[in-house]
Amino acid sequence: MAHTAAPSAPGHPPRVVRRSLATDLIDHEQALGYLLVAPVVILLLALVAYPFAVAIGYALSDRTLADPGVFVGLENFELLWENQIYRQTLRNTFIFTAGSVALRLLLGVGLALLLNESFRFRRLVRAAILLPWIVPTVLGTMAWLWMFNPNFSVLNYILVHSGLMEQGLNWLTDPNLALFSVLLVNAWRGVPFMAITVLAGLQAIPQDLYDASSIDGAGKLQRFRYVTLPLVMPVLLTALVLSIIWTFSDFGIVYGLTKGGPMNATHVLATLSYQTGLASGNIGEGAAVALTMLPVLLVLIIWQLRRIRRSTVA
Amino acid sequence: MTQDRQPRLTRRRVLAAAAPALVAPLATPAIAQGALKGTRLTILAGQWYVPETNTMLDQLAADLGRDSGMDIKIERFAGDELMTKTAAVIGTGRGADMAVGVEFDTYVYAAKLNDVTDLADEIGRTYGGWMDVAKATSMVGGRWKSLPIGQAPAAWNWRTDMFRAAGYEKFPDTFADLLTAAKALHAKGTPIGMTLGHASGDGRSTNYPVLWAFGGKEFEADGKTVAINSPATLAAVEWYKEIYQYFIPGTTAWLDPDNNQAFLAGKCSATVNVNTIYLASRTAAATDPSRKMLVENMDHALWPSGPAGRFANYNINVWLPFASSPNKAGQREFLKAWFSRGFLPKWTKTGQSYFIPQLAGFDREDVWPDDPKLKIFRELNKLNRLAGYAGPPTPAAAEAVNKYVLVDMFAKACTGQLSPRDSVAWAEKEYQQIARRRSRT
Repeated sequence: MAHTAAPSAPGHPPRVVRRSLATDLIDHEQALGYLLVAPVVILLLALVAYPFAVAIGYALSDRTLADPGVFVGLENFELLWENQIYRQTLRNTFIFTAGSVALRLLLGVGLALLLNESFRFRRLVRAAILLPWIVPTVLGTMAWLWMFNPNFSVLNYILVHSGLMEQGLNWLTDPNLALFSVLLVNAWRGVPFMAITVLAGLQAIPQDLYDASSIDGAGKLQRFRYVTLPLVMPVLLTALVLSIIWTFSDFGIVYGLTKGGPMNATHVLATLSYQTGLASGNIGEGAAVALTMLPVLLVLIIWQLRRIRRSTVA
Repeated sequence: MTQDRQPRLTRRRVLAAAAPALVAPLATPAIAQGALKGTRLTILAGQWYVPETNTMLDQLAADLGRDSGMDIKIERFAGDELMTKTAAVIGTGRGADMAVGVEFDTYVYAAKLNDVTDLADEIGRTYGGWMDVAKATSMVGGRWKSLPIGQAPAAWNWRTDMFRAAGYEKFPDTFADLLTAAKALHAKGTPIGMTLGHASGDGRSTNYPVLWAFGGKEFEADGKTVAINSPATLAAVEWYKEIYQYFIPGTTAWLDPDNNQAFLAGKCSATVNVNTIYLASRTAAATDPSRKMLVENMDHALWPSGPAGRFANYNINVWLPFASSPNKAGQREFLKAWFSRGFLPKWTKTGQSYFIPQLAGFDREDVWPDDPKLKIFRELNKLNRLAGYAGPPTPAAAEAVNKYVLVDMFAKACTGQLSPRDSVAWAEKEYQQIARRRSRT
């Protein structure tokens, strides 16, 4: 409890005003700042930093589910690098991410431009577009599993009966096509997010700019190149970075469709980590597989945070 | 939170607690009245295919709870979820007292499981002894660390009409004959199919018997020395590569449901599976003529015999009594009730050979299905061999199974990704890396 002398009427002694700790805190901006941030910091420490530190500890040990293990330094990473399945998985993960994000970008931006136009039932279409994003991963994956089924594929039925092909494609059987198939499903799921985010960016662009550029003689392509693209770029980059992060660490689609098969052709780091750490009980090595994602994700996150900070300052 | 209460020791309680030992053990699940009152027992379980077997577990828990005053809760999870939940309980020491585990769990979690050797001995005496595969599954270092629930024999499910059309009245009895039959069936447009994808159940039960039939093995008897690279393994891979060209397309992508679907749709004339295709079809036959036709034209067969003999590999379920549980007495009371004469034979009969306890004396008991098309499961039940052979089901063997090394070895050769020799060499390298990693712990 603090006491301060408050001004009083002439001829009277100064009045003593009792100040509470809360009042003091409110007056001290710095202390109040720390206080207000504290809950978030505590949450982050407990839910993000602590598990992350534990994961690093696991990756540097030979811990199994039943044995706490001992510190082995970087041995898990060395063993992983010697392993053909791991190297194949690493390659798959990069192809999977790059391919899926490229498709999301292409289709997402295209879709956003279309949805930004006026047409009948536009609101309904916009809502429907979100379905792949809203539907639970498992449900969507099950549907695709049927569509890729070697014996009952509706895609193959269409391809064959429309005369496009003599026989259907081995969607999940051929190793290269299997990787493309899982990538395709991941992109299908991610396109609505990209489209809706970019659409929000498009709608924030003032119509005046388009009108002005039209008066200056800009065509459709030029308006897109010099007005739309620069103004939508911040939103697009944010959606892009988020897409890369989510795709790089995706588990459900690959696990649901192929469990990493055939012959590990579709294994990504998340599925291999699960297979090694939980299914096989090799927690140390499983954590090491998962941590492989860290450098890539870290670079992306730092870049994104810097960009956000720059735009906030500006 | 699970807890034990320390009851006041009275003459009545002592007599009640001693009663099971004085009367015939496992004859009926006699409960130590009051000793378990107020305690809790949480059991993690999956869903067995035959619904009545799940209901019987629920009823057993309810009856035991009522008689003992123990609060028993069955928490059910789907396949992989159960494994994850069990791993979480093992890791944290909290969340459940017991779980339904699979064949490798006993070895993987041995240090975190209670010793139930005395119970296992008592159950063995009651039912004519445990089968060797049960001992191999549940005994670690000479002690029982889990109690086997049973095994789900995987048979060759085959279409008698399609085989007959291709000139076969019986299912082939040797691997050479199976290859010849596969050619004939393929020519008739009714190919067979064996799972070569990352199917957690069928991938194993389909491919390990091929390796063993040709005399191949993953490890030496010490469970540490890798033995996969041998002329016998190469012979198995070459046989597989040859028969693969007569398979229904897509088997390298098959997950567990895919062979069922192909067989049910009449696109595949034979595949390796538990009896669920038949059981499901038999149930549906009353209302669905196509299922009725299937039931009439399908049967089950033993694995063919290879140069080294006839083998099989089945999924196994065990009761895992967690050492972290504060209710050890409750675990034991539940296990006694499960293995009691009043329950286990009935449960087995109800399951129609989907899951069969690995007790030698059951061969002479009235636990077998009356349906003639399920008779073969009595013979199949004697064939099970565990992955990791010639060693025990170690964590290294479990890791090889979970990483589908053997399945992929066959698949790589079959699809031409690697030559048979190179695919065996690839598998050897994978096995050696797994063994090296596991030798650290």
